[in-house]
Amino acid sequence: MSALKLLAGLAAAVLLHLVLMQLWPELARPMDVFLVVVVLYGLGGNSLASLFAGMLVGLVHDTLTNNPFGLFGFADTIVGYSTARLAQRLVIQRATGVLAVVSFAAALQEAIVVGLMVMLLPDPQLPTPFGVALKAGLCGVLGMILYMAGSQWRQGADSRRRNRMSRLRMG
Amino acid sequence: MDERRTGWVLIVVLVAQLVYLAVRGARSGDTWLESVGLRVLGPAARAVTSVPTSLGELREGMRLRHTLQDENAHLRRENEELRLRLLQLSDLENDMRRLGAAVEYTTPPVGGIRAVDVVYVDHASWLRTLVIYTGDTPARMNQPVLSSSGLVGRVVTVAGPYAKVQLITDRAASVGAMILRTRRQGVVRGSGQGQGGLDLDYVPRQADVKPGDRVLTAGIDGVYPRGIPIGTVVQVESGGQLFHRIHVATAVDLGALDQVYLLDHSPLPPDVKEAVPGVRP
Repeated sequence: MSALKLLAGLAAAVLLHLVLMQLWPELARPMDVFLVVVVLYGLGGNSLASLFAGMLVGLVHDTLTNNPFGLFGFADTIVGYSTARLAQRLVIQRATGVLAVVSFAAALQEAIVVGLMVMLLPDPQLPTPFGVALKAGLCGVLGMILYMAGSQWRQGADSRRRNRMSRLRMG
Repeated sequence: MDERRTGWVLIVVLVAQLVYLAVRGARSGDTWLESVGLRVLGPAARAVTSVPTSLGELREGMRLRHTLQDENAHLRRENEELRLRLLQLSDLENDMRRLGAAVEYTTPPVGGIRAVDVVYVDHASWLRTLVIYTGDTPARMNQPVLSSSGLVGRVVTVAGPYAKVQLITDRAASVGAMILRTRRQGVVRGSGQGQGGLDLDYVPRQADVKPGDRVLTAGIDGVYPRGIPIGTVVQVESGGQLFHRIHVATAVDLGALDQVYLLDHSPLPPDVKEAVPGVRP
């Protein structure tokens, strides 16, 4: 079930990224939907699954952006694992907490990618501090919105199930 | 699995990825992993690209319906003029062939062109690329890609009916070029600045270059044939002690490509390219 959720999230991220690239390419770079999928999956707290999920999602991202292949794979592996470890220690239930975690993850991912670029590329194009802040903010807001939508959907599904159960008992 | 073991798994996975990255470095080339990804994601990119294009075409068609007749008439006139020009040029071509045959001059063969659709464009990342859909006939590695205005780039990854094209504005791309007016040769590289940034390197300071000069492929790099427009010189600076710093604007608007042409041109065979002078094969 968890793997299915991840694959569905990944498919949605690919679709959203492609649509953004088509309609608003300037927004596609800071709005890293793949990172949001990794972080939301990592909030489940399973560090091993999050590690591999991060790698898979990062490699898909690499295929679409054509940075040196494996750059986002490496960064998202660390982000996925770190998020899961954090979720094991902290109870993150508020939407603002998710915003903070996703923003922090975006900054961490940028730092790792920049570090790798400096090591690997002869003349890397480094992001500006404003660009990093914009990415952190946009990803954080997107993560928060998706988390809130997911919570609402879960609550709705729970109440529907409770209603059905009570009708069954009464009948 | 306990967290200690997961930590070890993380280390192994990260080291493996680092080794892969270090071995491959910044090279943009064909790897099976990337090809698999492209095969899976290519159809999705194609589907997403086609929807807004169709809607856009429909809206554009409705908006421009009343001006189409004027445009048609204008194009007919232009077509007549071009036919006339073609006749003149074919006369010249015949003359050139005759003169060339007299001195046994041979040029490398240049094949036909094939129109293909662009399904994905990436201007954001460090390496600037686009993905094309080639249909049943796959593209070849290093196959030149053109638009009606000039050179776009070359094929760097082939995955079935999809291929990844490295744009000439990519920082890792380089093209053997010449200035049309003086035939002075140099190397055009992507400057990585903006969407149309190119630099023309290795043109000596004593060479005559000025803004407005047209830059074409020189046919000296073993990939592109001679004479394809690359761009126009926009700025000439006195760079180092030996060479000019020349900025070139691309002939093609790379941000507005929805269809490109694959040129059927045979690249220089690798054994000829890598042959050591003086050593017999």
